[in-house]
Amino acid sequence: MPILILADHDNASLKPATAHAVTAATKLGGDVHILVAGRNAAPAAEQAAKLAGVAKVLLADDAAYEHALAEPVAALLVSLASGYSHVLAAATSAGKNVLPRVAALLDVAMISDITAVVAADTFERPIYAGNAVATVQSTDPVKVITVRTTAFEAAPATGSATVESIAAVADPALSGFISAELSKSERPELTSARIVISGGRGMQSGDNFHLLEGIADKLGAAVGASRAAVDAGFVPNDYQVGQTGKIVAPDLYVAVGISGAIQHLAGMKDSKVIVAINKDEEAPIFQVADYGLVADLFKALPELQQAI
Amino acid sequence: MTAAAIPYTPPLKEIRFVLDHLAGMAEVAALPGFEDASPDMVDSILGEAAKIAENVLAPLNRIGDVQGAKLGGDGVARTAEGWGTAWQALVEGGWNGLPFDPARGGMGLPNLLNTAVQEMWHSANMAFALCPMLTQGAVNAVQLYGSDALKDLYLPRMISGEWTGTMNITEPQAGSDLAATRSRAVPNGDHYLVTGQKIFITYGDHDLTENIVHLVLARLPDAPPGVKGISLFVVPKFLVNPDGSLGGRNQVKCVSLEHKLGIHGSPTAVLSFGDEGGATGFLVGEPNRGLEYMFTMMNHARLNVAMQGLSIAERAYQQALAYARDRVQGKPLGWSEGQSKGIVNHPDVRRLLMGMKARIEAMRGILYTAAAAVDVAHHHADEATRGRAALLVDLLTPIAKGWCTETGQQLASDGVQVHGGMGFIEETGAAQHQRDARITTIYEGTTAIQANDLINRKLLRDGGATANGLLDEIAALGGELSGHADEALRVTGAELTAAVHEARQAIAWVLAAAKQDPRLPAAASVTLLELMGVVAGGWQLARAAKVAAERLAEGDADTAFLSAKPLTARFYATHVLPKAAALRATVVNGSASVMALSEEQLFGAA
Amino acid sequence: MKILCAVKRVVDYNVKIRVKTDQSGVETSNVKFSMNPFDEIAVEEAVRLKEAGTATEIVVVSVGPTQAQETLRTALAMGADRAILVQTDVTTEPLAVAKVLKALVGKEAPGLVILGKQAIDDDCNQTGQMLAALLGWGQGTFASKVAPAGDAVAVTREIDGGLEVVSLKLPAVVTADLRLNEPRYASLPNIMKAKKKPLETVTPDSLGVDVTPRLKTVKVAEPAKRQAGIKVPDVATLVDKLKTEARVI
Repeated sequence: MPILILADHDNASLKPATAHAVTAATKLGGDVHILVAGRNAAPAAEQAAKLAGVAKVLLADDAAYEHALAEPVAALLVSLASGYSHVLAAATSAGKNVLPRVAALLDVAMISDITAVVAADTFERPIYAGNAVATVQSTDPVKVITVRTTAFEAAPATGSATVESIAAVADPALSGFISAELSKSERPELTSARIVISGGRGMQSGDNFHLLEGIADKLGAAVGASRAAVDAGFVPNDYQVGQTGKIVAPDLYVAVGISGAIQHLAGMKDSKVIVAINKDEEAPIFQVADYGLVADLFKALPELQQAI
Repeated sequence: MTAAAIPYTPPLKEIRFVLDHLAGMAEVAALPGFEDASPDMVDSILGEAAKIAENVLAPLNRIGDVQGAKLGGDGVARTAEGWGTAWQALVEGGWNGLPFDPARGGMGLPNLLNTAVQEMWHSANMAFALCPMLTQGAVNAVQLYGSDALKDLYLPRMISGEWTGTMNITEPQAGSDLAATRSRAVPNGDHYLVTGQKIFITYGDHDLTENIVHLVLARLPDAPPGVKGISLFVVPKFLVNPDGSLGGRNQVKCVSLEHKLGIHGSPTAVLSFGDEGGATGFLVGEPNRGLEYMFTMMNHARLNVAMQGLSIAERAYQQALAYARDRVQGKPLGWSEGQSKGIVNHPDVRRLLMGMKARIEAMRGILYTAAAAVDVAHHHADEATRGRAALLVDLLTPIAKGWCTETGQQLASDGVQVHGGMGFIEETGAAQHQRDARITTIYEGTTAIQANDLINRKLLRDGGATANGLLDEIAALGGELSGHADEALRVTGAELTAAVHEARQAIAWVLAAAKQDPRLPAAASVTLLELMGVVAGGWQLARAAKVAAERLAEGDADTAFLSAKPLTARFYATHVLPKAAALRATVVNGSASVMALSEEQLFGAA
Repeated sequence: MKILCAVKRVVDYNVKIRVKTDQSGVETSNVKFSMNPFDEIAVEEAVRLKEAGTATEIVVVSVGPTQAQETLRTALAMGADRAILVQTDVTTEPLAVAKVLKALVGKEAPGLVILGKQAIDDDCNQTGQMLAALLGWGQGTFASKVAPAGDAVAVTREIDGGLEVVSLKLPAVVTADLRLNEPRYASLPNIMKAKKKPLETVTPDSLGVDVTPRLKTVKVAEPAKRQAGIKVPDVATLVDKLKTEARVI
């Protein structure tokens, strides 16, 4: 039976997270279909059709889906689910919002945040903030799963699937969109950036984050922060990397003035290469860093910007 | 410099173990009036207090040390950043009222439970915790000896913590010798006019509350000389109207704040009373009985200061332990794969840490046992039982105050030692504990004062009967454990028995020597106090080991925690209890040599 | 409006968990348990809504072992009015908990259900969404602000890249995110009063719910450990290493 992936998109474009979910889906054995539910979402559907390994894209274009509200999107997924062995989504805020609703409506258990596919019915997922890894097996007829994007490579855009329009289903009309306030940034999104440079309490103020931004712009990196820096009001919430913030696993993670509290490590320890810059040589961050530099960040950062 | 917040995790499991198995929480909860102190309630209360200690008070410890309390241009002492909010958290939480009369807004819970809460607060932030501690002491004094009018007007707000309390004893010329007290109180209608200067007044002024209630020792005009002529007065910072609202500013002026070695966050004030004729004061109880009343506060305060010894040691231990686990210096002797390479596995670092752990558990046993005895002494239905408990409290108070504070100081120093060079650096935070601990052997009666109290009031007065009675109990436990199948318990029992024997000899010598020359026992008193502390600590660890062994035999699955108890007791038995023999030798043989040099020789006169 | 809050007893967030040697799970004997921090935020929000006059009664529910009574008492001490323990020793999955909660919603008829966005033990992040689905209610997940007005509630949600505000018809389900509020410390008088507040114990059976797990846990293992790398003396060396050795810039 085929596998259905709920696309994460903003109508105009597909979020990179979906490409990671496709890679997870291809390990399950079965044609991979992507559902793009949105309004004027043809551009996102076309991008989805290009992902390698995707056999078909279903496009449900309707006003009810414009803002990806959980209630109508879940109703649509449920109407399609019987034809699929698995329903997947990337474990983004959108996927985490919708899929448990789908699972409950199908009366099946759900498997959140998988980091490995052991078999088509068996998966690994982190528990206790990543301090343990559980292997779980499902016997439900449909497996409803969210995928931790950092654990799977992105599928390349080398495919050419067909896009098939499907009809909307009745909107339960339980919720309405009022507004959204998205941080505008020229830089890549934290969760999909190849390089992330984060600041902690050691940055001392929000203004000092420009020291990181200059480097980020040169490297094409995203800027993140520790919870301490967010709590201190240096930067907005959505900068936060950690157990209660965003989980990232870029090729390069640069932690600046971050001590390395366990909850921060939980959000970045799967990065391929970790660099830590901290003046406290005892900071726990050095225990996970591939390259540690004991230095005053206010000296080291300008030097780094020069050197790259 | 950013003040690194050194975390403190309240040792709830240890506390609960000592409450239940050494102090007898269940027996205390069975006393009349303490029905609310059921096990689940105790858990809830300790759990919430732990959160406040860990999350509200502990993060302010370093800030208080760095910023200190400062006297503002307006003559009002300012506490460090965040302290006002923390105090508000205690007031809103109703924590100050924990042990007090429900009729006046208290919670009516046992002193034992209050003791456990105080332990956490002193560990989290000793400089801060002094304020609730002294306020509770002041409430006790007014509650016991104040007139109904005084109680009605002052107690509800002191119990809630809206107002704080202080203890005004010391004057420049009257430190340990209160007979030299000069402050005066002259009758003036329904009140008295108080004049004089008091020094070393902890939280004598601050910005945490709108009013401060000072309890002040002063002489009436017709008072007999010496300590029998001292009366106790309530002197509020702001006068209180009959409806409880605040009236005018009283003549109590904060002249200056001391610059101290430690507890920088605690404002230590010089207070001047009655600069413009006389501060309005109200007599507490009867005239000329002030010292007796003050001792009520003092005894409460002594056990609390003893607690500071434990608390600061616990805090220093947690910090040293965390450092020893992380810090790597060379490969520990006999290191094997899978073991941490932290310095915690170097034998001498481990010795320091075990020394801290064992003595901390010993102190906790002594202090919680004493706290439970306070409850029994006040609340038991049977008069004889109350009397026995009161005698135990009286005996344990100087031992606890003297030994726990001296030990706390030593352990705070050991905590620095574990850190090596980093310990000597202020930013590390270990040094603060040592500086903060330093006052504990001094205030509320120096160790020597405690030792005098032990000898003169607790040993000589009843010919050693109470002390020897306690030693009988300890000896019985030692004898029982000496025959135990478990090696750790056996060693503990044998060493405890031997130490009791040394203590008995030392006491016998003191009783005899006192008849020859009062200077002899005085010269030996602090050594004897240490000996009694060493034995009392061994007693508590042996009790803990015995309970743990019994629970393990009954199949309790918490093996890691319980099996540590006999091993910790054995460490103490082999590292600390043997000191009893040396201490006895010093008591018995050393007193004469203390005063042997003439004063001239001491000063090196040619 | 009545509010129903669901709270879970979990291993305290400060506890450094250990995986059992037989890989059957995580060591939970003799470790400290507390209320799931996100659930604590949920209870706090309910109490604030009551203090603001929006809510009239707060019923707090926990599905778990007898010891979960302590968790419920904590919620009562924070200001909830009464508690229901759905007693079971089964390690419940979110779907089962959602079914239990649905049954209780049927009895209690709350206008709003608030619970934490996820439990910090299984990290599932499912129960609220599932409950909303089973009830046919709207859901406001990952809430950083909850503003009931009339027959609707405006929920500000923390989403990837920013915030989103949705309006839900009441009754509805809201799941609390970290920044919704900062939970209070229970006061001593309230801790003592909590003991006298009603706490009812029922079983999943009595609610007609089968809580048998659907998923099989094959094993629980330690995550792969990351080895510490090297210290570099200066920025130049760092950049060189990143370019030539790690080849990431």
